[in-house]
Amino acid sequence: MSNININHLRKIEGSAGFLASVINGDVRSAKMAMRGRSKIIEGVLIGRYYKDMPVIAERICGNCSVAHNIVSIRAVEEAMNIKVSEEAEKLRKIMMAGHFINSHSTHLFFLSLADLLNIENDLKLKDDYPEEIKMALEVKEYGMEILKIVGGRTIHPLTNEIGGFKKIPSKEEIKSLIVKGEKILPEVLKLSEFFRKLKLPDFSRPTEYICLEKKGEYLAQDGDVVSNKGLHISADNLKNKFHEFQRPKEMIKRTKGDGKSSYMLGAIARINNQSGKLSMCARKYLESLNFRLPDYNPFHNISYQMVELIHCVEVSVKLMKELANSEIGNALTKEYAIQEGSACAAVETPRGTLYYWVDIDRRGFIKNVNIITPTAQFLTHMEDDIEAFVSKIEKKEKMENKMRAFIRAYDVCANCAIN
Amino acid sequence: MSLSQKPIKKPKIAIISLTSCEGCQLTLLDLGEKFLNFANNVELVDPEFLKEEKNSGEKIDMVFVEGSPMSKNDEQILLKLREKSKLLIVLGNCAAMGGVPEIANYREEKQTAKHLYKYIHGVKSEPVKEVDNFVKVDFVFPGCPISAEEFIQYFPLLWESIEYGKELPKISDKSVCAECKEKGIRCFLLDGKPCFGSMILGGCGATCPSSGIMCQGCRGLCSGANVENISRGLKNMMTEEEFENTTEIYGLRDDIEAKEKIMPL
Repeated sequence: MSNININHLRKIEGSAGFLASVINGDVRSAKMAMRGRSKIIEGVLIGRYYKDMPVIAERICGNCSVAHNIVSIRAVEEAMNIKVSEEAEKLRKIMMAGHFINSHSTHLFFLSLADLLNIENDLKLKDDYPEEIKMALEVKEYGMEILKIVGGRTIHPLTNEIGGFKKIPSKEEIKSLIVKGEKILPEVLKLSEFFRKLKLPDFSRPTEYICLEKKGEYLAQDGDVVSNKGLHISADNLKNKFHEFQRPKEMIKRTKGDGKSSYMLGAIARINNQSGKLSMCARKYLESLNFRLPDYNPFHNISYQMVELIHCVEVSVKLMKELANSEIGNALTKEYAIQEGSACAAVETPRGTLYYWVDIDRRGFIKNVNIITPTAQFLTHMEDDIEAFVSKIEKKEKMENKMRAFIRAYDVCANCAIN
Repeated sequence: MSLSQKPIKKPKIAIISLTSCEGCQLTLLDLGEKFLNFANNVELVDPEFLKEEKNSGEKIDMVFVEGSPMSKNDEQILLKLREKSKLLIVLGNCAAMGGVPEIANYREEKQTAKHLYKYIHGVKSEPVKEVDNFVKVDFVFPGCPISAEEFIQYFPLLWESIEYGKELPKISDKSVCAECKEKGIRCFLLDGKPCFGSMILGGCGATCPSSGIMCQGCRGLCSGANVENISRGLKNMMTEEEFENTTEIYGLRDDIEAKEKIMPL
């Protein structure tokens, strides 16, 4: 492990020109312009056969492909009124947990850490924290292993399909994953202790936190849309409650609430709204952080991703144990009828709730589709935060670092915003 | 310092995303420790180098481009990259074959950007075109996404071609079909199910057939394949419409049609 060079990863990620433009952006107005590089995926989907939906939709974003795969499949199933088995539902939850582990650990340990420690020289990070980096790689590896075994591969999953799973893992594979998960939990907890020491900026702006709610589920794959301000509607109703808008010169369909105000989602929203549903170790860690809820400091989103990472490791093991004692074969795709219909699917993903609306004709071809990604939803909120933050600070030095901290906290996904 | 202690020259490389899902870059990141070791043995040039004045500084050794140029800005980046690099290498299906966004080329007006967006600045209404329509491409890592193992395997050979003037490597012309046979995966065709594997370039380890999905051709045609015959056989198992739709997903349709034009029935 002597050859680690963390900054390389940051250079690669930074090549998504958008991030650089934020960092060098016009700080005074704290607005960001995303130039049009849309792949027009929604347009591409219209007229395609329903089976192509996940294959095409997951290519909106390599980073979030697992999320797009699961939500697009659920939307088609809802529209055609297809029910899948409990085992298939479980496999999807395990897949999503693997996705959270992979996504959160990449973001926490490989993209944020050097920034949070204010380390410009990557050699120093490697020398100072070799143990932590080794553990972090193992945690990420566990998330990817889940995705490989359950989904077929880590990027653009293959096995999950409309009606269930094309191929299922063997009991032996599930058992080997359980062993790995149990081994990784203490390492995640050690990493969380390390993360606790990091100093995050002090800033607070009361806002609305929106996420999905379902009884007994912290990370819902369906359910109602709720907020800390009393919002409680079905996901399908969200379209009437919120409206999409677009700014000239950018290819993002943003969303705003009824009151024309921006809202926040993702880890910080979920923790604020339903921390009681967290797994045991995750809840203990949350309590030990001593953050008072409701917590309106956007920088704490990073700490809450750490809480969720613990949660997902625990939950993945729990779900796999249940699956190992059930009839996994039921998860295989069963026959279903192609039906006309339209529906909405909403699922909690690492960056927040991802929505898909789809309209399918009686032959199974897609008539219309609308995708609302987490980043498209919280981008306006981030700008509002930046504006408030900038107006409060007196010393306007090191602005680049401060803007970087915002990007880190929000875990922006540019590919999803401009789909 | 003695000669033996002379530090090994590290290749200068840059990885640039045009319009894409960035999944090919992520595939490399997912190599974990292997990738970190790789990254430590190269000099990763910050994409900022593009902003430098024309012809200033020495050329970088290799640029890796993922995605397809879908805006004027993308096109300009591509031209600059070619000018400033010794080798221009494309990563993945979008850059090599147009990828999923190329489906729009086969669509009607109402399904284009105008249908979805109020403002359509910077979105070209022209067809999606692969990277080699704009600049010379020296090497292609095929696939959607690329195979990270293949990247690690071929990278030293690319470097040798620069350092020692060796010939550029070629990905061995073996079909996906052959890989299925090696892995013992039951052939789809035996069950009367279509699969494009016999005309498609292998190297992916037959990832899709291993997961129960027919090969849809994301790695492109293998040069030895009798495309005309295989297509005719497949059209006995699927309708013309299904054939077209399937080959559109990874931008294979225009390549097959081009072959059929060369060898008419």
